Amino acid sequence: MIRNYIWRYRWRYLLGIITLFIVDFFGLYIPEFTGRVTDGLDQGTMDYRGVLHIIGLIFFVAGIMMVGRFFWRFFIFGSARNIEYELRNDMFEHLSKLSMKYYNEHKTGDLMAHFTSDLNSIRMAVGPAVISSFDAIIMTIMVIIKMILYVNLKLTLIACIPMIVILLGGVYYGKIIEQRFTEKQKAFSDMTDQVQESISGIRVIKAFVQEQKEIMAFAIANRNNKDKNLRVVKVQAVALPLLDLMIGISSALAILYGGKLVLEGGITPGKFVAFNQYILMLVWPMLAAGDSITLISQGLASMKRVEAIFNEVPEIMDTETMDTSLNSIRGNIQFNHLTFTYKQEGSMEKMLPVLKDVSVEVKAGSTLAVVGATGSGKTTLVNLLLRMYDTKPGMILIDGHDIKEYPLSVLRENIAYVPQDNFLFSDTIQTNIAFGVRKLKDIPYETKRYSLFPTKKELEEASMEHEFSRRENIVDQAYGDLEQVQEAAKKACIHDNIMEFTKQYATMVGERGVTVSGGQKQRSSIARALMKDAPILILDDALSAVDTNTEEAILRNLKENRQGKTTIMIAHRISTIQNADHILVLEDGRCVEYGTHRELLDMNGHYAKLYKKQQLEKQLEDEQ
Amino acid sequence: MSRKETEYEKSIHGSVFLRLIKYMRPYVLWVILAFLLVLVITGLELLRPALLGKAVDLFADGKEYGKIKNTAILYMIILFLSFICNMAQTWILQRTGQNIIYNIRQEVFEHIHQLPLRYFDITPVGKLVTRVTNDVEALHEMYANILVKLLKNGVKIIGLAIVMLLINVKIALYSFLVLPFVFAFTACFKKVSRATYRIARSKITALNTYLSEHLSGMKLIQIFAREQEKNAEFKQKSRELYGANYREMMVFAIFRPLTYILSIIALVIIIASGSKSVLNGAISVGTLYTLIQYISSFFEPIQELAEQFGTLQSAMASAEKIFTVLDEENTIQPPENPVDLSSIQGRIEFDHVWFAYEGENWILKDVSFVMEPGQSIAFVGATGAGKSSILNLIGRYYDIQKGRILIDGVDIRQIDTDQLRRAIGQVQQDVFLFTGDVAGNIRLRDETITESQIEQAADYVNASHFIHQLPNGFHEPVSERGATFSAGQRQLLSFARTLAYDPKILVMDEATANIDTETESLIQEALSTLMKGRTTIMVAHRLSTIQHADQIIVMHKGRIRERGTHQELLSYNGIYQKLYQLQLEGEG
Repeated sequence: MIRNYIWRYRWRYLLGIITLFIVDFFGLYIPEFTGRVTDGLDQGTMDYRGVLHIIGLIFFVAGIMMVGRFFWRFFIFGSARNIEYELRNDMFEHLSKLSMKYYNEHKTGDLMAHFTSDLNSIRMAVGPAVISSFDAIIMTIMVIIKMILYVNLKLTLIACIPMIVILLGGVYYGKIIEQRFTEKQKAFSDMTDQVQESISGIRVIKAFVQEQKEIMAFAIANRNNKDKNLRVVKVQAVALPLLDLMIGISSALAILYGGKLVLEGGITPGKFVAFNQYILMLVWPMLAAGDSITLISQGLASMKRVEAIFNEVPEIMDTETMDTSLNSIRGNIQFNHLTFTYKQEGSMEKMLPVLKDVSVEVKAGSTLAVVGATGSGKTTLVNLLLRMYDTKPGMILIDGHDIKEYPLSVLRENIAYVPQDNFLFSDTIQTNIAFGVRKLKDIPYETKRYSLFPTKKELEEASMEHEFSRRENIVDQAYGDLEQVQEAAKKACIHDNIMEFTKQYATMVGERGVTVSGGQKQRSSIARALMKDAPILILDDALSAVDTNTEEAILRNLKENRQGKTTIMIAHRISTIQNADHILVLEDGRCVEYGTHRELLDMNGHYAKLYKKQQLEKQLEDEQ
Repeated sequence: MSRKETEYEKSIHGSVFLRLIKYMRPYVLWVILAFLLVLVITGLELLRPALLGKAVDLFADGKEYGKIKNTAILYMIILFLSFICNMAQTWILQRTGQNIIYNIRQEVFEHIHQLPLRYFDITPVGKLVTRVTNDVEALHEMYANILVKLLKNGVKIIGLAIVMLLINVKIALYSFLVLPFVFAFTACFKKVSRATYRIARSKITALNTYLSEHLSGMKLIQIFAREQEKNAEFKQKSRELYGANYREMMVFAIFRPLTYILSIIALVIIIASGSKSVLNGAISVGTLYTLIQYISSFFEPIQELAEQFGTLQSAMASAEKIFTVLDEENTIQPPENPVDLSSIQGRIEFDHVWFAYEGENWILKDVSFVMEPGQSIAFVGATGAGKSSILNLIGRYYDIQKGRILIDGVDIRQIDTDQLRRAIGQVQQDVFLFTGDVAGNIRLRDETITESQIEQAADYVNASHFIHQLPNGFHEPVSERGATFSAGQRQLLSFARTLAYDPKILVMDEATANIDTETESLIQEALSTLMKGRTTIMVAHRLSTIQHADQIIVMHKGRIRERGTHQELLSYNGIYQKLYQLQLEGEG
């Protein structure tokens, strides 16, 4: 599969490899030229014009190499970057299709690792690894042939003995260092875990006066980290000087045997000079061999992991039963003996149903309130209506059609939703409220051209991002019609708060924006849903962080605006739900009470008890 | 502190560097030895090209093989010498570096553990972890590599220049012509590449933030059917990163070949001017070859120098952050002449206590009460009434502003903090479990608590029942934060932990979490075991816990509003009576 991405850049790779070959080939001539100068001067066969001639040749060859060195980077590294970019985009697109179940089973952190470390090692495998493998094989052959042809076979063989040691040593070194490096990283992460835990649990540690013992325990982890670091150092301290020694021995052998050859007239001093430079040229390919083995094996492992994502099939999608002629929704909802159990693959435990035989009809234009303790199945009911999970056919009908008959996009476009956890994206308030109506064309796709030298503005932005500082001062373009956004915000009673921010609707919120309170988040989230103006509105415990006065105002606005449209609201507070057309009380996934506020009070059951309790709480609050 | 952190580049001053140097003091002899070795290595490195040059001259003479052999042997000796010196030098410095890092890390960790709780209230855990781990790590490079390499490269550049001048002034000066360009060019390259690197890093950070936010918010995106739009938005961000990466690549693609051409120019200058001298007979061919080798050795140290200044800068930035933590003072000052209370009885008195975390934001206003040894007191009231603060004050986790807190008649500021805290058992509302096993969570790190004591403690507080049901009993592993244990089980474990330490005073913040009725009754039972013979001061939520207290204090907005026994308070018809009714409704 990843092969396709590489195949797309086959011509660039080919061009890159050709230039690489040219660079390596011409590179062989520079030592020869210096050798010729040496001989010419030594034997007096060369005058100054001859030297200048050679200098001209050196410049010519170096010029070709300079251009070539640019182009192989451009072709090969550039393609690797392109492949990385395309994979990244496709991976995100694929992930956006996967269903909730996938996200429940995979941690965000693990998914992130695919985007960071896996993509990186794939890029290394299709970029730098190509160069190192090429050089390790082709360059070695070319240099050795040149040494044999231009200088001397036997001298080459003798001088190459240390090179073989470097080659083998490099591979061996790679293995050892990788193992010790893993140990070192593990020691570091163990130590980090210990620090993390110790500081998180500082209250317990102080309460039980464990500081000294904690410090002693840390000293062990700290020492272990030091020892593991030194184990890496031990290898490095030997390996690098050893490399230097081996190269040196090659030169020494060249002096010894080369000297003999010169005396016997086998080679000239100039060839000896060139030979010494060829030896130096052999060092890099020997090391590259080890590199390419590591890079390619890591790349292959990462490719496997990334392909596993692409092979994941979305659970919820449009099926054959889908009817494309269904392109609008009026808002009549029927739950028909709805029973639902979360499936858990691989778990032997038998999961209990979350919803049991719930049958309720919500007439188009009416309001249904759902109450019940945590875990009673309220949110599951809503999730099923949104088709976050699939039910058996016929259990949920919308306007008389099974929910699966609607194209997924039609279904979700027609439902506005206020979630329990009020998630705002790190963006302006305006963009956040207009989230549901934002269209593809609103998103600019600029292919910005970068100049080679970074501008001052870019650097400032970079340092700001780097420091995780608040981005209040960077004006981001806001999307969505401001008037409509403001109107939705007014209905959700958040407009006044927003106007108090210095940047008003252009204020950044979310993780790196200004801090907004839970209530403000909740109301922004309501505004976001209202902006959609859909035939069905779902509020999942959406007024819990709002004070009673504001709650009243929002409910009033909802009543006005949701005339003739269906609303489902989950709530804990009686004040929120008492005016709903119908109230459904869930307990352990079963519908235990159903009716209007009055009716339920008369039943004197769960609902009535809840009502009394909340009355008392209110009294107490007033007293204080 | 935040100001200092963001503007570290401006506030790098001599003192940070001096403080860093001070950590080298215990290893000063090793460091000096390493420096001497570096000088030897540099000298040997300068000798090698000269010997090769001499070999060429001997070849050109073409007479005596003996001399050639001697040169080769001398070359070998030099090789082995520098091999050994290099190895020794690397090892000495790396070990010294690691030792210093070990010491600094230990110091930072120890210091953090001595800081008052207030500091942890306002400092994110992640930030402190980074100080101990990554920031200290950044210093390692400086001790183990940078300092010695700065010296080595400096010596090498100067040495090369001197040797070349000694060989032939004219050729040397000609070839030095190219050096200013090399310096300027390298500096420029490093500046641009660092800048592009930084921009690329920031784009990666931005993209990762976007990713983690959107992967966790995927549900919302799907519900609002905005996948296409988000894909387009992601592509835009991805494109920005691609652009930054591409530029980084281009910077290298352009600068690297240019560096190469500079080295060729240097080579050509030597050949041009050198061969003229050879033709004049001023120098030999071998010397020319030596010079050619010298000029190509100029490039590496210059490039490394530029690199090292950059690393030094970031090491300084990390050092600055570390020192900020180390300079943080412990505001809870231990008493100079502590009153020795080797056996604390457990009489507690709050005498007109006023307390605020900050300024005049009083959390407790004029709170006074007395408890005799063995008595129990329950605090009730709304959240933010100041109940939990009272618990924290007894162990002197915070200092009060006005009034006194006395234990057995002694002001707690006069008691050694460790002794004081050892006498107090704290049961926290949110039970923190450490990674390890069950037994380890009861004894913590106190190895003097035996296995049987652990089992006994668990038994007394009804915890042994569920522990025995675990596959590995007391050695059942506890994962991060004890996620596999229920709230009730955690509560019982924390009771066992407290009991194992056998404190005189019990301070408890009762958990509000929902616990099933069976465990609930186990907890109630365990609690009365725990309270037996101990002065108990608690923030309570459950009616049964409150009812049995000797004294109940109702707090409201930092003040004591009502106090008395359960019966007395009910008869007041005040706040307590309302709370009581509510509880009955809730539990009934």
